Amino acid sequence: MDFDFTQEQAALRDSARDYLSQKCTTQFVRTMFEDPTGFSKPMWKEMAGLGWLGLTFPEENDGLGLGMVELALMLEEMGRAVFPGPYFASVLLAGGAIKAAGDKSQKQKYLGGIASGDVIATMGMLEDAPNWDAEGIALNAQAGGGGFVLNGMKRFVPFAQAADVMLIPARTSKNADPGKGISLFLVEAKGKGVESSPMKNIDLTNKASEVRFNNVMVPEENVVGEIDNGWHVVQKVLQQAAVGASAEMLGAARKSMEMSVEYAKMREAFGQKLGQFQAIKHKLADMLVDVESSHSAVYYAAWAQDAQSADAALAASVAKAYVGDAARKVCGEAIQVHGGIGFTWDFDLHLWFKRAKFYEPMFGDAEYHRELAARALAG
Amino acid sequence: MDLNFTPEDIAFRARVRKWFEDNTPRGEMRTLDERKAWHRKMYEAGFIGMGWPAEYGGKNARPMEQAIVSDEMTRANAPSAVNGLGTSICGPTIIVHGNEQQKQRFLKKILNADEIWCQLFSEPNAGSDLASLKTRAEDKGDHYEINGQKVWTSGGTIADWGILLARTDTTVPKHQGISFFLINMRQPGIEVRPLKQITGGSEFCEVFFTNARVEKENLIGKLNQGWMIAQTTLGYERGSGTLNRVTAYMMSLRRLLGATRKLKKNGGAAFDDLLVRQKLGRAFVELEVMRYSGLRTLSRLEKGLRPGPESSIAKLYYSEYGKRYHEWVMEILGPYGNVLEGAPPEFSGPDRIDGGGQTAWGVSFLGSRGPTIYAGTSEIQKNIIGERVLGLPKEVRMDRMQSKGE
Ligand SMILES: Cc1cc2nc3c(=O)[nH]c(=O)nc-3n(C[C@H](O)[C@H](O)[C@H](O)COP(=O)(O)OP(=O)(O)OC[C@H]3O[C@@H](n4cnc5c(N)ncnc54)[C@H](O)[C@@H]3O)c2cc1C
Ligand SMILES: Cc1cc2nc3c(=O)[nH]c(=O)nc-3n(C[C@H](O)[C@H](O)[C@H](O)COP(=O)(O)OP(=O)(O)OC[C@H]3O[C@@H](n4cnc5c(N)ncnc54)[C@H](O)[C@@H]3O)c2cc1C
Repeated sequence: MDFDFTQEQAALRDSARDYLSQKCTTQFVRTMFEDPTGFSKPMWKEMAGLGWLGLTFPEENDGLGLGMVELALMLEEMGRAVFPGPYFASVLLAGGAIKAAGDKSQKQKYLGGIASGDVIATMGMLEDAPNWDAEGIALNAQAGGGGFVLNGMKRFVPFAQAADVMLIPARTSKNADPGKGISLFLVEAKGKGVESSPMKNIDLTNKASEVRFNNVMVPEENVVGEIDNGWHVVQKVLQQAAVGASAEMLGAARKSMEMSVEYAKMREAFGQKLGQFQAIKHKLADMLVDVESSHSAVYYAAWAQDAQSADAALAASVAKAYVGDAARKVCGEAIQVHGGIGFTWDFDLHLWFKRAKFYEPMFGDAEYHRELAARALAG
Repeated sequence: MDLNFTPEDIAFRARVRKWFEDNTPRGEMRTLDERKAWHRKMYEAGFIGMGWPAEYGGKNARPMEQAIVSDEMTRANAPSAVNGLGTSICGPTIIVHGNEQQKQRFLKKILNADEIWCQLFSEPNAGSDLASLKTRAEDKGDHYEINGQKVWTSGGTIADWGILLARTDTTVPKHQGISFFLINMRQPGIEVRPLKQITGGSEFCEVFFTNARVEKENLIGKLNQGWMIAQTTLGYERGSGTLNRVTAYMMSLRRLLGATRKLKKNGGAAFDDLLVRQKLGRAFVELEVMRYSGLRTLSRLEKGLRPGPESSIAKLYYSEYGKRYHEWVMEILGPYGNVLEGAPPEFSGPDRIDGGGQTAWGVSFLGSRGPTIYAGTSEIQKNIIGERVLGLPKEVRMDRMQSKGE
């Protein structure tokens, strides 16, 4: 039983924190607010050089061959730095699906491309209903012309404006069981018939788009995994996305808490430090309980993915449900502790508040994952 | 990171499970002698005081082994050890701060439950602010004479001995005038009156001292060092609690789940109601997080790290969880939750949290109000977290501005 990070894991976290605190300052982050692609190409190349863009990919695909624990560490640091860019979309979502179900040449081309920074990938899941179950997938893919023709729409596609390729789950056949008949396609983001329009978020560092598919031709070789049998791949990716999103929210929450503690030690009112008032002290204590409990939830869930433990799916739901609520509370209370300054645009605190809020509904909100937990309990 | 139990731990657990399956008494134990016999049996099996050093009758057991034993005890719904306070608080204090003569005199009899112990700290006007206690100990030459009152003394009626904090100097600041004594409870100067708790049971008592006697040799440490001694992290019983608490709630949650399948709501089973499922889901999610955090604590303890003030985080989490959980139980069961006797079997309550049979949901609910009060209230835990973990400045305290204990 060892809940501590290995030396290598701790070193990865430290180097991520060092790099991001130097390069990904909030000043830089703010320059990405109005940037349509939302990331810096030079920084992306540097991250490729550090191996981070292929963190979880096999070594033969130019990856580092690491697991979900390392990815969670990286994402926690990115949450802490409000890192702007398609890391989650490219590495965890699209990369995760290709790693799980892609064939040899797809892996070589796409994982290798993502790892080197030459290819930016994303994944479109939601359509008009924000539904994380298989019923949500209606986008139609019809066999024809030596491949498939896609028609339909995806919303909330992360960083579609920056992406070269999109992994798109689509319906290839209709069945009583909505989990059957879903197939995965790699679609050129700038290809014919693909139209993206931005959906601006409260978290300006997380770009998203509505993407319309009008008779988009996808060649046979761009089918990832088996025809009609793609849902289990999506499910696996959603599980890891739930853990990854929890890690980002944890990073945002811990940072917000630390800023609040520092502020409460410094700011004076009524002849005392704010931190001397129990109303503030107890709030901060509650925040620490939430943050430390979230840490346990995120890394247990990440470990469970890597160990393929029997409760891996449950642990992902536990993390997403728990950390979603906890980060909401912690980042919100941080604003409260800061008073008026916390409500301003120029003070950075809202960056984390928005990052945490962005991930709350993504990959299933707390209510959704509590329902999954209740089902798991009932066995 | 590796959250698997080692093969040795798994094998150890299997042995312990078998032992409790074979030996746990069936049916409720009625007499003190029966409870002592059960304690002794567990001691002889190596499960009591197992974290104590071997030279004092313990087994130098690792925190993980202690956690596993507690966990299996809970799983078997085994009655708790009658001398629990003796083995978890009183004995360890004597081991750390007592002299050789005191160790020889008391430790063995704690382990085998020959002498039952209680903790005489809280007073009517000294609870969270324990250092303002007023019970006095006067030097009478060959002994100390005790006058005053203690309250909320768990197990006071069955105790043979108690650890006592009393004031020995009223001229110095309050923390500096307290001493730590061992007191014989079986003497004319002590009157123990049971207090009925909100659960209806009588586990704690008030204790009155009228010229009661403490022999000189039963002072622990030096005179006026009592506060420091009381503050030391005692506890060779490390790791216990981390797993079994979760198991106890898990057993209760499964019982609740069963009830929701029988309970009717909206023309179907309550379990099929989305609001009920949200509550079950939340209870399960927060309980799993408690389990993960427990493993994290155990992993630190296994490396020989002390839990330190971070243990306040765990205390706060589980005690507050207990209250939330039981509120959900009561919401889900509606009027059935309030029934003490006469409910149909499917709505009868969970196993008692301290083992040894079943209780009603309502009693379990009422009991959940205790843990956020004893062993440091939630507010005190938050002060500790704020000041000692987060390093926030101390609040302005009137008592620190005064210099005297009175
Ligand atoms: C949208 C908005 C509009 C505003 N408009 C105006 C305006 O038109 N005119 C104007 O003059 N002002 C305005 N304000 C300022 C507002 O009145 C102050 O922000 C508010 O009084 C809090 O003061 P502060 O920001 O200095 O926070 P602080 O006083 O520093 O408080 C920080 C935190 O400490 C807590 N705290 C402080 N003292 C105690 C205590 N004794 N016990 C417990 N907790 C304590 C606070 O509750 C808060 O959580 C506005 C603020 C906002 C957000
Ligand atoms: C079931 C049970 C068993 C017990 N067993 C024993 C035992 O065996 N031996 C023993 O000695 N004692 C025992 N106790 C007593 C227990 O330790 C005290 O009840 C506890 O320390 C609280 O003290 P109090 O009851 O005097 O409450 P108070 O200290 O008067 O507290 C009342 C309220 O004020 C709050 N408060 C107090 N100080 C502060 C502060 N500085 N900041 C913010 N809020 C504050 C508290 O959190 C609480 O909410 C037991 C209690 C219970 C409930």
